[in-house]
Amino acid sequence: MKEITILIVEDEAIIRMGTVHMLEDAGHRVVEAANADAAIEILEARKDIRVVLTDIKMPGALCGLRLAKVIRDRWPSIHLIVASGLSAPAERQIPKNGRFIRKPYTAQHILEALADLLGPNPAPYRYSKDVIQNYGKIAL
Amino acid sequence: MAPQASSHPNVALNLALAVVASSTAPLLLLKGDLTLVGASKSFCSAFGIDPARVPDKPLRDLGAGEWNVPQLNVLLKATASGLADIEGYEIDLHRPGKPDRSLILNAQKLAHGDDDNILLLVSVLDVTDARIAEKLKDDLLRDKAVLLQELQHRVANSLQIIASVLMQSARKVQSEEARNHLHDAHQRVMSVASLQHQLAASAAGKVELRTYFSALCESIGASMIRDHTKLSLDIDIDGSVTSADESVSLGLIVTELVINALKHAFPNDRAGKIRVGYHSQGSNWTLSVTDNGVGMPKEISRTKTGLGTSIVQALAAQLHAIIMVGDANPGTTVSLTHSQISVVAIANDTVPADRAI
Repeated sequence: MKEITILIVEDEAIIRMGTVHMLEDAGHRVVEAANADAAIEILEARKDIRVVLTDIKMPGALCGLRLAKVIRDRWPSIHLIVASGLSAPAERQIPKNGRFIRKPYTAQHILEALADLLGPNPAPYRYSKDVIQNYGKIAL
Repeated sequence: MAPQASSHPNVALNLALAVVASSTAPLLLLKGDLTLVGASKSFCSAFGIDPARVPDKPLRDLGAGEWNVPQLNVLLKATASGLADIEGYEIDLHRPGKPDRSLILNAQKLAHGDDDNILLLVSVLDVTDARIAEKLKDDLLRDKAVLLQELQHRVANSLQIIASVLMQSARKVQSEEARNHLHDAHQRVMSVASLQHQLAASAAGKVELRTYFSALCESIGASMIRDHTKLSLDIDIDGSVTSADESVSLGLIVTELVINALKHAFPNDRAGKIRVGYHSQGSNWTLSVTDNGVGMPKEISRTKTGLGTSIVQALAAQLHAIIMVGDANPGTTVSLTHSQISVVAIANDTVPADRAI
């Protein structure tokens, strides 16, 4: 996959570090933020971010889903991946063309979502393959 | 009794009043013009009314006038004229200086054979406390759901932290062997996480093994099989459902046996497949992992017992299952069998689990 810049928004330092390594090992440039406010500051300052991967449950004024919605409105060309340890949120809560991955995730989960989002024909659904399999009842 | 009562109107009315007065459910007896004939003692004590001041008082003047509810008056008049009965009509009783009460009223015109003297019987059910209890229950259920979500979130985050630490250690170590061990440990954590997902999605802590093992093998395959055109991992599982405790053990056993097969059965990029099977009948079950690889070394005693084998043996003993290793021609089948007979055998120590493998 072509090298891109990805912003990781995660309040838990060790998870953030691990995720940075997963993406750096896959050859991407990574920028990190510990909360939604910091993420928005970064997005306002730089123009090279193609994808934002955000945790849903974070302290601060904006949770990950709200942050994702703000990004979809202000920077519509940025791809979104939201992650949570909880059951998949309702499809309507995930911004259009966003993806949901479940914690704990591995590098494969993120890379699959990235390949799909950046590929020529992104699938219309918003859940990673793994989630679909585990949540057979989710209607696509 | 009835002919006697009708020939003595006062006796009949007194009887009716006595019945109303003694009712434990709050009752009112009204004339067609909505003046009170009588009220039960239960009504008077529940709503702070002096029983002596009830007879002949218009309903609108009862107490401090709190029963003067225009909509209720309309409904009671309609009932008196025989147009309707009141069934389950809800009102909030506002009393000065006292908390509001939520009431459910029922009213009907009494058929007592005297159309000139219309009588209405009104029952008053105070549901305030029941409503409060209901709300409290709803609040508690909501709190419980929030706590459960919080817990799920924490478990997933903790597993992600453990997985992160293991993967970062694997990046740092120089030794290939140490790195492999850390990758295996990471896979074990992810296997437990996979069960956690199943449990979060299932009811009452029951786990459907086909769904669980399918997700588990997907996860193991994604992280441990490099060339999916050469190696495949599939499942043959019946519709068995097990408890959370049993599934975590079964899942870890599958993880170890599959990792073991991936490591040893297909050397030098040999192609092949691994199949995970589980079938049960009543309380008896068999779990198997079969590969079509190179087979086990002939002199098993010379190979050092690895962590994987220790884990499988410990979990098999916990599940009261016997481990059998067989030749699959080609390849190897490792199966764990739990049956009533094997439980007895283990109890009598006639077939020690470590002899069987």
